[in-house]
Amino acid sequence: MTEDPILTATRVSKIFGGLVAVNDVTFDIPRRRIVTIIGPNGAGKTTFFNMLTGLYRASTGRIAFEGRDITRARPDRITKAGVARTFQNIRLFSTMTAVENVMVGEHARMKAGIVGSVLRTPWVRREERRVRERARELLDFVGVRKDQQEQLASNLSYGDQRRVEIARALASEPRLLLLDEPTAGMNPNESLRLTEFMIRLRDELGLTILMIEHDMKVVMGVSERITVFDHGEKIAEGDPATVRANPRVIEAYLGKQEAA
Amino acid sequence: MRRRFGARTLPRGVNFALAAAAIALAIVFPLFFPPGSGWVDDMTIALAYVVMGLGLNVVVGYAGLLDLGYVAFFAIGAYTTGWFMSGFYGDVNVHVFVSEFTKALPGIHLNFLLVVVIAAALCAVAGIIIGLPTLRLRGDYIAIVTLAFGEIIRVFAIEGNEITIAGNAKLTAGRQGITPIDKIDLPFLDQFTSLNLRPWYWTALGLVLVVLFVNIRLRDSRLGRAWIALREDEVAAASMGIPLVKTKLMAYGVGAAFGGMSGAFLGSFLNTVNADQFAFGFSIFILAMIILGGLGSVWGVVIGSLALSLINTRLIPDVLNDVPSSLGLDFNLVDVNYGIFGFLLVLMMVLRPEGLLPERRRQIELHEGTPGDEALVEVTHA
Amino acid sequence: MGATVQELLSKYGLIALLLVLPVVYGIQDLRDDGNLAGIANNLFDGLSNGAIIALIAVGYTLVYGIIELINFAHGEVFMIGSFTAVAFWGLIGLGLGSSVIGLVLGLLLTLLVAMATCGGMNVMIERVAYRPLRGAPKLAPLITAVGMSFILQNVGLLWLGGSPKSVDDLIRAQDDLFTVIGINVSRADLLAFAVTVPLVVLLTLFVTRARLGKAMRATAQDPEAARLMGINVDTTISLTFLIGGMMAGAAGLTYALYQTTIWFFQGFQAGLLAFTAAVMGGIGNLRGAVLGGLIIGCIQQISDNRISPSWTPAIVFAYLILIMVFRPQGLLGEETREAG
Repeated sequence: MTEDPILTATRVSKIFGGLVAVNDVTFDIPRRRIVTIIGPNGAGKTTFFNMLTGLYRASTGRIAFEGRDITRARPDRITKAGVARTFQNIRLFSTMTAVENVMVGEHARMKAGIVGSVLRTPWVRREERRVRERARELLDFVGVRKDQQEQLASNLSYGDQRRVEIARALASEPRLLLLDEPTAGMNPNESLRLTEFMIRLRDELGLTILMIEHDMKVVMGVSERITVFDHGEKIAEGDPATVRANPRVIEAYLGKQEAA
Repeated sequence: MRRRFGARTLPRGVNFALAAAAIALAIVFPLFFPPGSGWVDDMTIALAYVVMGLGLNVVVGYAGLLDLGYVAFFAIGAYTTGWFMSGFYGDVNVHVFVSEFTKALPGIHLNFLLVVVIAAALCAVAGIIIGLPTLRLRGDYIAIVTLAFGEIIRVFAIEGNEITIAGNAKLTAGRQGITPIDKIDLPFLDQFTSLNLRPWYWTALGLVLVVLFVNIRLRDSRLGRAWIALREDEVAAASMGIPLVKTKLMAYGVGAAFGGMSGAFLGSFLNTVNADQFAFGFSIFILAMIILGGLGSVWGVVIGSLALSLINTRLIPDVLNDVPSSLGLDFNLVDVNYGIFGFLLVLMMVLRPEGLLPERRRQIELHEGTPGDEALVEVTHA
Repeated sequence: MGATVQELLSKYGLIALLLVLPVVYGIQDLRDDGNLAGIANNLFDGLSNGAIIALIAVGYTLVYGIIELINFAHGEVFMIGSFTAVAFWGLIGLGLGSSVIGLVLGLLLTLLVAMATCGGMNVMIERVAYRPLRGAPKLAPLITAVGMSFILQNVGLLWLGGSPKSVDDLIRAQDDLFTVIGINVSRADLLAFAVTVPLVVLLTLFVTRARLGKAMRATAQDPEAARLMGINVDTTISLTFLIGGMMAGAAGLTYALYQTTIWFFQGFQAGLLAFTAAVMGGIGNLRGAVLGGLIIGCIQQISDNRISPSWTPAIVFAYLILIMVFRPQGLLGEETREAG
């Protein structure tokens, strides 16, 4: 499973005040796989995500993407290097249209500077047009209907907002896509469609996907590897069948859910 | 659909025609008045304030950084004319592209166009320097730090007559003011005079058009989207690859440069640069203009700035000044003009926070709120 | 580990920075006069002056602690407090010829009136200018706060005109009472401490012991949870403004007696000093505001005395910027729950 990882995290911890949110986690993401992190609420999954994307800085440990150390890199640099993400509670720019949101995602791949933008040189004009067209293509690709694409993000349906967020993440041309609970609030049918979509992303675009997910059906259906967090620590890792059989996992997470 | 209400939904062609008509009207305006008329005078100042309003709009309206020290750039811009367009430094003689008449005067005398460029550059640098310490701060702290910088610069302006730069040269002339300042002298035209105000008016209008153009172009660009994104949600913006530091500093720099251009114009037009012009109240005056018109809305800012400026120079002193005494109250309305601006601020924020001519986006934010208030980003340093 | 080092560095760095002025001028005194009497007197005057600033700073910190708003109009409330006090003592006939008993009783009554006026006014400001904007973006109430500040400033301007106005020196403020180790203690100094210390002690007791005080702290920590616990959040916020305003009123009277000069712009200046004090102590933190007030008082006094009063704002603002950038949590930290 550890053949040529796209991202490696080595003995990473995050301490807030006295509270250890993530404790000494070593973790890697194999290229072109769909990997899932599961764990009960408060297990440190989102904190871990935030460290991978530069929103939090790891207290100790080292994170490398494509062999480059990104432990202390800024979020925008990490995005530029090829990591993009979505958020658990959708964070679209609500006053922008769907297309504009996706165009913001392309920021890191654009070059227009302040002078060029003011003069609107032919080159800048072409770039704008290209980026806008690509935004529309991406929205088509994730399945946002044409008539919804010029709507303000805040007016879109919940499912469309999730799709726009994924399109926005894809716009930065990532090689690694991080999805934080992508199926939250979706019905089983929508979840299934999203699962299929993730497989397409992997196969057609060659993306690696790391997600946090609670829906066990989605997790077991799509993941090639599952990592289990509990109380900030990694307690298990392996393919779905192995993880499902692990007694610690059953105790920490699955057991609770089945009991509920 | 409440959110549609009041938003700009006019077709593009109509908008364009309206803008063209407004600009045409603005160009012919002074021809209806005698060349030295008070109306031309007041409108010239109003246009200079529009430039400032548009500058502050970049910082506050687009990027969402509440700057309460914008007067600093008025000061720096105006002092640029004080330093480089007057006899203030009488021990040196530098003359660059100035009229024969001005050449005979001691001091540093540069052409106005040069001075505008210098003022814009100085202010852009100052804006970035003032912006730097605010980068990691929350919105309300940004307001206070910018206010503090504004006040520090004011103290330097007042006490500048005690600060020696070299030889007899002082930093400023304090409350006495540096005066006179050279009149504007543009290529192919005669040097401006204080008798004919029309050229001043058209110059101010030219500045407005340039700044308006830049404002609109930037709004609809990659940078403009980045500003709005970070105004709405810094965390999401950073995660989408927008460098927060650089993007914020650009807003500070651009906004400050416009303030400096206007300051340089006013320095020459008012013919004096005096420390008392640069009080905190002026920052609030400009802020009130853009809030009145609608934060982030270019045309709203133009309308708001013109309106408040004329309220200040026309309505309060000429029309309404005697209202209190006719009500049996013993004061003139001019004395409390800043109180009136304060009242307008409160009234607008409580009743119509999106302004008279709202920007579509701002209206949604104010009525529905945005998610990005919690500070999640730990790493926003340079 | 890195975080702890940074924490210590910023804290002791700030303390070191605060010691620069007293140490420099202390050394100068030693060299010139051979003793420290000069700087000691500056510092003592600074403390009594700072006691008044502390009373104002408490109002900033309480309000910020509860609704995270810089109540920009607070300095003006203090100014109106001074004006009200002077008007009221004139009304009840206090003057240079009043008897000691009459003066004490009259001034106590004036104190109550000034506190009530400012408290009530602060509550009203919250109702009119801040409460309607509670759900709006955070900058909206800050803008109305600035607007309120200008309105009140102009009320003051109309009330007493644009230039400083001297008032009857009722307590003969500059008379020295006694001298301890070279420090002259004047009546004004005694007054400042006599007003501030009991009020701050009472306030601290209220916030830590009384039921309403506990409600304030609960709301400051988590308004939603407080609401669920049955606390009326609106009332609690009004109460906070009431208390903050009352402190400003007390400061207003004390200032008028202490300085014997009042004018409409005093609120803007004192407000910014007090706000700096609140940030220096750690905004939201009561003890911090008092500590910050005393420190700012000393800085102001040294700067007024040794450098020049016109440079004082620049020096205080320079401190403010440095603190906000390098130690935004202040000396004692931004912790309302530790208040008292």
